[in-house]
Amino acid sequence: MIGSLALTSLRRRPLRTFLTALGIAVAVGSTVIFLSLGEGMRRAFAQELRGLGPDLQVSFGPFDGTVFTAVPELPIRYVGTLEAEAERFGITSVTPILLYVRGSLATSTAFVFYGVPADMDPRSLYADFELIAGRSLDPTVPDALEAVIGEQAARRAGMTVGDALRLNPRASFEIVGVASATGGLLDNAILVPLPALQDAIGTTDRVSFLALDLRVPEQASRTAAQIAAAYPELGVQTRGDISSIFERGMQITDVVRLGISGIALIVGAIAVANTMLMSVFERTREFGVVRAVGARPRFLFGLVLIEALLLSLVGAAAGIVLGQVGAHVVNVLAFEVVGVEVAAVTPRLVAFAVAVAAAMGLLAGLLPAARAARIPIAVAVARE
Amino acid sequence: MLRLVLRAKGLGKVYRTPSGEVTALTGFDHTFEPGCVTAVVGPSGSGKSTLLNLLAGFDTPTSGEVWIGNDAVHALPERERSRLRLRRFGFVFQSFNLVAVLSAEQNVALPMGLAGIPSALRRRRATALLERFGLQHRADHLPHRLSGGERQRVALARALANDPDVVFADEPTGSLDSAAGSKVMDALAAVAAEGRIVVLVTHDPTLAGRAQERLRLHDGRLVEVGAPAVLDTRTSIAPHDVGAA
Ligand SMILES: Nc1ncnc2c1ncn2[C@@H]1O[C@H](COP(=O)(O)OP(=O)(O)OP(=O)(O)O)[C@@H](O)[C@H]1O
Ligand SMILES: [Mg+2]
Repeated sequence: MIGSLALTSLRRRPLRTFLTALGIAVAVGSTVIFLSLGEGMRRAFAQELRGLGPDLQVSFGPFDGTVFTAVPELPIRYVGTLEAEAERFGITSVTPILLYVRGSLATSTAFVFYGVPADMDPRSLYADFELIAGRSLDPTVPDALEAVIGEQAARRAGMTVGDALRLNPRASFEIVGVASATGGLLDNAILVPLPALQDAIGTTDRVSFLALDLRVPEQASRTAAQIAAAYPELGVQTRGDISSIFERGMQITDVVRLGISGIALIVGAIAVANTMLMSVFERTREFGVVRAVGARPRFLFGLVLIEALLLSLVGAAAGIVLGQVGAHVVNVLAFEVVGVEVAAVTPRLVAFAVAVAAAMGLLAGLLPAARAARIPIAVAVARE
Repeated sequence: MLRLVLRAKGLGKVYRTPSGEVTALTGFDHTFEPGCVTAVVGPSGSGKSTLLNLLAGFDTPTSGEVWIGNDAVHALPERERSRLRLRRFGFVFQSFNLVAVLSAEQNVALPMGLAGIPSALRRRRATALLERFGLQHRADHLPHRLSGGERQRVALARALANDPDVVFADEPTGSLDSAAGSKVMDALAAVAAEGRIVVLVTHDPTLAGRAQERLRLHDGRLVEVGAPAVLDTRTSIAPHDVGAA
């Protein structure tokens, strides 16, 4: 009975109900969008990690994330050093990798070049690597000016097998194959033979990092510590390290995003509280009559609280739809720029939004509900 | 069946306001009998509404007692008073009686809902009550689409929803023309004839003239009690003369 009365009250004041619910929808929607960024980035990273092959990654100096953009720093002689220690550390392969980013203002022509040994099987590094057109790099011509391009990179650049990919005025690579690696780094990368890339950028003795495969991958952390102890000048990361560095970064942005969402939600809660207070004030007379015909104070308390809760839940539902649309727009834009979908509206995010909106409705309804319950009948019915 | 009466003893109300104390009612004694309409008349500010509020338990008296049968209205905790209003009292106010977002039928069904009556029975009884007051064709209308007289009759139907012992009406015809007012008065008389106590506050001498009993208040005091026919010829009487009925 109380529920249908609350529902009727909201339905019969459609404009006010709509506007208040809209306020909540915007608050919940922006929360969903902000939080979906974190979810999407976590999801994208989890995918990257799945395709991210090497058990260990060795850089020169501590690993701080700059390895992907900085100039190559790791002397290539460490390949031999580590291969010589293969037995001691349980290393099964050492693969030097040279990264080169061809920056550009037009994002569709910015690329990451991966210089890898031409005889390397990309699958050993990125498990879900799959050639979808053309062929692999020719292992018999280690310095050929040819490239295998990631599917997304190819799509962004509008290129396919046979096209020429210019790295700088001195070097141009012919695309011989297109590969897909679902959501992985390789999807946006361009694999070229290491010597050819070294020639092209004039670096012969340094690479960006070494990818190590281990006999017992589960012991990656221990092996990493051993290598780091033996070669203090090197930075050694396990896949777990990479994910924990990423997770730390995500947690920092979580706090920021939650903070911004919190402000939006507080604004939404104030809107509900304000509407309900106004509504209680306007309905003083009506509430007096309802009390006069026999309703107890707690009936009005519950009525107002349920109205606030319903408003919030309707707003939350609309907000989740809004958030989904927003996240989609973000994804389309992000895909254009970085080739990765960064926003994801996950079930746990939806559950979180609903819970937060419900808590918000109850909290915002508390004061107006208490106000409604305290209305003295005699005063209320005397009012015209 | 035992004849249930509503009895006020030495009832008084003093409002404390920032500008001092206002004595709205003092030493009111009376026994309201079932089966008759008791009209309460008096000039504006004489304490009529105050009296009704105290009788109905909307407000607590500063002195005196109100009894309905064996229940001391003045001493009951709020939840018991709510129960009393729900089960044994009915109300009609001057205007804005109805919950604006509910249809006529839903308004009538409201007290039944509060009393926990199942919805099918609620509907049936609400329909019957509306029919009784000639409002069956208005059942689904919202209050703003009803005429003033129709609204007051819906309010009266709602007052009867839980078969009350007492119906209180504060200026129920105050915003109606005389034809509509007379129709409401007919309905009130019929309600009293069923053996209920009807307390009617009114300014209208014609309506008061149709009541079986008339009380006149002045400055918070009961100054006259009488049947309509003899009221004009009687002067004032002392409250204790009538309180012991
Ligand atoms: N809540 C209140 N606070 C202070 N004074 C009040 C309050 N309610 C009523 N009064 C005062 O008590 C006196 C009686 O008021 P009451 O409303 O009972 O008169 P009434 O006979 O119903 O008048 P009317 O015919 O205008 O409705 C008046 O002087 C009024 O100003
Ligand atoms: Mg009055």
